[in-house]
Amino acid sequence: MKLTRRLMISALGLAMTVAMPSFAAAEGTIAIITPSHDNPFFKAEAVGAEARAKELGYDTVVMVHDDDPNKQLELFNTAIGQGVKAIILDNAGADATVAAVQAAKDAGIPSFLIDREIKESGIAVSQIVSNNYQGAQLGAEEFVKLMGEAGKYAELLGREADTNAGIRSSGYHDIIDQYPDMEMVAQQTANWSQTEAYTVMETILQANPDIKGVISGNDTMAMGAWAALEAAGRTDVIVVGFDGSNDVRDSIKAGGIKATVLQPAYRQAQLAVEQADAYLKNGSTGVDEKQLMDCILINAENADKLETFALAE
Amino acid sequence: MRAMTAILGLSLGLTALGACKIVPNPEPGGENASAPQSDEDRMAAKAGEIYTAQLVPNVSQKAIDLPTLTTALQGGLDAAGQAHGIRPQAEGSPWNFLVKGQGTVVEANRKSRGATMAVDVTGDKQADVTIQLGPVIKGTALRDAADFIVFTDYRDQIEFAKLARALNDRAHQAVQLPEGDLTGKTFRFEGATTLRSATDPVLVVPTLLQEATP
Repeated sequence: MKLTRRLMISALGLAMTVAMPSFAAAEGTIAIITPSHDNPFFKAEAVGAEARAKELGYDTVVMVHDDDPNKQLELFNTAIGQGVKAIILDNAGADATVAAVQAAKDAGIPSFLIDREIKESGIAVSQIVSNNYQGAQLGAEEFVKLMGEAGKYAELLGREADTNAGIRSSGYHDIIDQYPDMEMVAQQTANWSQTEAYTVMETILQANPDIKGVISGNDTMAMGAWAALEAAGRTDVIVVGFDGSNDVRDSIKAGGIKATVLQPAYRQAQLAVEQADAYLKNGSTGVDEKQLMDCILINAENADKLETFALAE
Repeated sequence: MRAMTAILGLSLGLTALGACKIVPNPEPGGENASAPQSDEDRMAAKAGEIYTAQLVPNVSQKAIDLPTLTTALQGGLDAAGQAHGIRPQAEGSPWNFLVKGQGTVVEANRKSRGATMAVDVTGDKQADVTIQLGPVIKGTALRDAADFIVFTDYRDQIEFAKLARALNDRAHQAVQLPEGDLTGKTFRFEGATTLRSATDPVLVVPTLLQEATP
């Protein structure tokens, strides 16, 4: 099983080398491991990391763990067996990932984490994460402004087990709860899912036909909620999301969803590769292990500049 | 080295506690290590530990006069930041500044949960700075302007965010103001501010606020 996987990965690596002979592996190979590329956010990470690695003269091997810590550990073992120079990782769990990153460290392979933290420091070389708290506050400030500081609203929460769900919600409420005329009439999870958000929104709408706004823990749920609102002829409802996806950008440009918050996923992945390169060449990245990157508000004013989780200058 | 010791301590802790859920990053001294505390409680305790002992004196030592900042900002935020600012090492982080001054209140809003007062420092009757009075104090300026508080030392951004909140709460608790209208009164202040652009209004979280004779 493990052998087959290893062979498959090697074959993949070989195929890439053959397909792109101009990027000879002068500097060795960097492994890029993320959740499934079905979510364009994670795809943007992989694409960003891969592009930067090639520019810096590395070969890459791109793998997905599907948010399964066991699979992630297998991928780490594969990468270790292959003797990659460094691992770029969007991890499969703050607790469960510690062992995998430690195994790589023990084998002399440094890991550079993006997007999400692990619950220990001193094992990975870098942990570059989006400042979800700051981003949520930005989104909430825009939401309150759009609502005219008053009215009934609903909140869609992400998957409860995911720390980002909690921190975004608390960032939202740190701002919204300062406005006594903002009244939350429903707060439900839709588990980051577009289809679930559609159903949840339908139910909320039936119970609260006078709802004025919806603030959502991510963009896929915002898209689901918007679809339900459109189906019910309630395009007057103000929807704000989080992530900065192209789908929500298009909705903003079409006058649908009003705002979202960009996590600079593409840049974050590139930065992780740059830090890996610096570490491999100089033995140090020159910066702290854990780095919080600020998020950016996206609304009708700057939606044009947003493409694949990056904002053009 | 400190990180190594922490990891060693942590792995020992993990071994000892077996299946128990332990909270990493215990306080130095570890007197609370066995008590199951919420993140909020632990960060409130941490804030209590550092606020008076470290943070307030740090601001007093390093604060620059407000007009020095205002002048520096005319040369752009980055130039001002490099000369006087503090920022975390992460790319895209805003600059934070420690400032002090004395001035007259030209406008006060004490009704809001996020109460503020606008202060004229230069004597032209125009507000130069807005001081946050709370109870709701926005932002993370106090935390981010303290170079001895480093994100790597905290478990995750939730804990780190709660520390910022706890420090803001401390700042609010320390604010003691006379009753009634503050307009026309003179105050001496020290505090921290975060600026994302050179034209941002300067919104200060006070670590010192004292009524003074003009």
